Amino acid sequence: MARVYVSTVVNARNDRVWARVRDFNGLPNWHPAIAESRIEGGEPADKIGCVRDFRLRNGDRIREKLLGLSDYDMFCTYSILESPMGVENYVATLRLTPVTDGDQTFLEWTAEFDCAPERETELVNNIGGGVFQGGFDALKRAFGG
Amino acid sequence: MPHVVKSTIVDAPTERVWDVLRDFNGHDRWHPAVASSAIERAQAADKIGCVRRFKLKDGSELREQLLALSDLEQTFSYCLLDTPIPMFNYVAHVRLLPVTDGDRTFWHWESRFTTRPADAAAITKMVAEDIYQGGFDAIRRHLKEAA
Repeated sequence: MARVYVSTVVNARNDRVWARVRDFNGLPNWHPAIAESRIEGGEPADKIGCVRDFRLRNGDRIREKLLGLSDYDMFCTYSILESPMGVENYVATLRLTPVTDGDQTFLEWTAEFDCAPERETELVNNIGGGVFQGGFDALKRAFGG
Repeated sequence: MPHVVKSTIVDAPTERVWDVLRDFNGHDRWHPAVASSAIERAQAADKIGCVRRFKLKDGSELREQLLALSDLEQTFSYCLLDTPIPMFNYVAHVRLLPVTDGDRTFWHWESRFTTRPADAAAITKMVAEDIYQGGFDAIRRHLKEAA
């Protein structure tokens, strides 16, 4: 099973960062790679089990299911139902933890999945270095560091 | 039950910070509040269950026991056995996590304990500021001097 771990520090209190990322249907509002998103069946975006169907700027379509969301612990866990990436059993978590020393936020974005062995390095780099770090970089710009 | 949570970012890889923190008998070399420390019964400082007996700069003596230590997770937990101040059931957890964006360290230090209601605010502040925040600042200086 392949693992991705990417983490960063954003220069804003965790409640402000959480307000930006907690919306499971809100990726286009903060992630530069995502063009549009909708929740299937008209369900609320914080209903556990809801499915987001979103399109990347490169045209790829992905469907993901919300598995866990906690406003108390500030994490969001989801799985991929359908994607062109060639991954199986993909589960990812985005987690926020306060940095008390200086009112910053520590963000961790992790994923685990199965894939063809020869594609593992490429997928880990694309997901970690591309998608996750790309989202972090956008958040750092939005919050000024 | 008072719950103290403090965290910081250290501008060094987790291995360097862990190298200093994992020594349960090494806090007298970096923490400004600790004057001297020894492990009882000449046990190894990374033996689970070992007890460190240490003196603070103000002369008070404390005993703490190592409950858990993981080089894989870069975590350790310990409890307070004896202290001259009215703190009971004190259990603390230290956890390091890598900040991959910049090769830095997220350091999380938290504890719970019981005390007399009248003492809770003052002891909580002492643990949070003098021990934990003071420790964060000291490690930064310590790593700078070692570099």
